[in-house]
Amino acid sequence: MAVLPELGLIRSADLGEVLAAVDGDHVPYAGGTELVPAMSLGLRRPAAIVDLKRLDALDRIEIDAAVGTVMIGAMVTHRRLAHHRAVRDHLPTLAGAAARVGNARVRSVGTIGGNLCFAEPRSDLGCVLVALRATAEAVSVRGSRTLTIEELVIGAFETSLAADEILTTITVPFEPTAMSYWKLQSYERPTLGVAVIVTATDWEITVGAATERPTRAVLAVGDTAGLDGFIDELELSDDLGGPPAYKRSVLRARLDNGLGVAR
Amino acid sequence: MTPLTGSSGRRGPVAVTSTVIRFRLNGHAIEALVPIRLTAAELLRDRLGLTGTKVSCQLQVCGVCTVLVDGNPVSSCATLACDLDGTEVVTIEGLARGRDLHPVQEAFMEAGALQCGYCTPGFVMMTVGLLTAHRNPDRAMVQEWLDGNLCRCTGYQPIETAVMVAARQMTPRASEPEPEGDR
Repeated sequence: MAVLPELGLIRSADLGEVLAAVDGDHVPYAGGTELVPAMSLGLRRPAAIVDLKRLDALDRIEIDAAVGTVMIGAMVTHRRLAHHRAVRDHLPTLAGAAARVGNARVRSVGTIGGNLCFAEPRSDLGCVLVALRATAEAVSVRGSRTLTIEELVIGAFETSLAADEILTTITVPFEPTAMSYWKLQSYERPTLGVAVIVTATDWEITVGAATERPTRAVLAVGDTAGLDGFIDELELSDDLGGPPAYKRSVLRARLDNGLGVAR
Repeated sequence: MTPLTGSSGRRGPVAVTSTVIRFRLNGHAIEALVPIRLTAAELLRDRLGLTGTKVSCQLQVCGVCTVLVDGNPVSSCATLACDLDGTEVVTIEGLARGRDLHPVQEAFMEAGALQCGYCTPGFVMMTVGLLTAHRNPDRAMVQEWLDGNLCRCTGYQPIETAVMVAARQMTPRASEPEPEGDR
């Protein structure tokens, strides 16, 4: 007994052919870790999937040492991201988060691009990439454009990509020295994720998983009133991971500890 | 927007609803015509008769459908059979050599790491995947890898012990690098 309804496949190693095929009914397909279960549950019913895995250009990891960025192809899997030498050297927090996405099977096939495009709020990479001020390249037959991760992920399960656009590359500036990512997780997805970058002047705090999309605040070092305001005003989800008050309490304790705030 | 062309109103290559795949399964060459909607678990169990691979949650949460594709553990229930083209697949049936069990299977027996047995093929395949990538895992790494496999009988301690026993059995020379190192 098949779990999936009738389904078409479009497969090409040519980006132009792939772009010509993608529309609302012919959807980009990468690792399938989100799309296949969504199709089997009847949440997505595309006429065909358009396989991006044969586009070698989307599978690259390249360093631009002059600019100080790592360019990560959208088809790079979580496992490859976690173990790639250059990613570990220049983006250790991202590599560490990728090593703990989902489970070992999800990391085998799930991709950084798919993770962003599905825009599941209870996710790690979006939070880390917002914190790192990464950008994404979206391409269609009409051309290409660059957008920030906040411009890409605009809500829960919602991106700003047009139906005929695909995500090709994520460009990530080298990680600053004082960065951390911490998550609370009880089930298969994170309940709360917190990325913190401390510079000479600022606390940069990005909260994910409990929010509809990663949310960042930049505060002056020592601005505990600003920190309280940020924490208090976050709209936190109410789900099996816990009620908003619980998540807020955990978030406050985590940030107080991490930033050395005495109360 | 670029105008659409063609009688179907769509541009670009045409979708197929089935395709021929060629892959190696437990060392044997396989060629099959598969519908795109067919999952790898359905291909293995229903068409090829390899029912050692189980199916349960169908959401990549429980791990009973774990098989190795090119050495990496994947959920066969959420993998499309068409994606097996050109790969090397190992299932639970591919581990033993005749009556000689794989060291991981021996270790699960020795440690009493199974009871009803439904989750066992998944745990064994995940363990083989782990020990293929990391020859000397510590307990934290074992927990990280087995985190996505559920057992409702034994509890996880005997399973962890079995993995550590298997790792010791299979430990090669210390000078050999970890396969899943930097690349």
